[in-house]
Amino acid sequence: MASPKNLTIPGRYDRIREACDFVVAGAEEAGFDPDEVFRIQLACDEACTNIIEHAYGVEDAGEIGVSWEIKKGAFIIELRDSGRPFRPETVPSPSVPDTPEDVDELKVGGLGLHFMRTLMDEVKFSFNDEGNHLVMVKNIG
Amino acid sequence: MNIWQETISDGIQLVGVNGRLDQTLTPTLEAALLNLLDQGYHQLIVNLQGVNYINSGGLRCLVTVWRQAHQKGGDLKLCGLNERVSKVFSMVGFDKVFQIYEDCDAARRAVID
Repeated sequence: MASPKNLTIPGRYDRIREACDFVVAGAEEAGFDPDEVFRIQLACDEACTNIIEHAYGVEDAGEIGVSWEIKKGAFIIELRDSGRPFRPETVPSPSVPDTPEDVDELKVGGLGLHFMRTLMDEVKFSFNDEGNHLVMVKNIG
Repeated sequence: MNIWQETISDGIQLVGVNGRLDQTLTPTLEAALLNLLDQGYHQLIVNLQGVNYINSGGLRCLVTVWRQAHQKGGDLKLCGLNERVSKVFSMVGFDKVFQIYEDCDAARRAVID
């Protein structure tokens, strides 16, 4: 079984694409179709953006470690950062009103987390002394 | 140029975007659109024909401007979304929030009428 592939990028918005391209290469190797690869790319983007926005708070405050592996019929992405603990339970869910006129009812906080959970089969956050650890899983086939 | 603008008539502006609508481009687009609202262009059309990727930050930007346009009695309409970008909108129900035109000429006609 192949060992995980690793990449570390600075926590900057203009470097997120590099992390996503790295993950896309893995998703293609895992045999996902282009639509699924796009969804995985978007989940990776949202996860990296989330780290910069919430764990680090600003750009250039730390690094993002990205790894992927294909294991037991699943594509597994892991992201690590050394920022503040991220607590997904504190993030509000986005809500879309039934009628477009209800402008004030439209809540767009938590969109990134919503995307990650919608696009991937499993999303798990944990935190220890070294920082945040996010595992996202997409089942193959 | 990633963002371009075209005045359609009084108070109506079309803004085109090219590239990836993520955090590298979104702040520039949001500033340009909010600036147009401040200048009195309350009817905005955003042409996304040249956008091949959008993330939640891109959606948030468009919603922020859409909300402010509505508060001023205007609107922000979208046109030219490719299939993938359309799917991202529908994933969170934003296809029901925005008026979205497949054809940008139709969007122009809608705001002029």
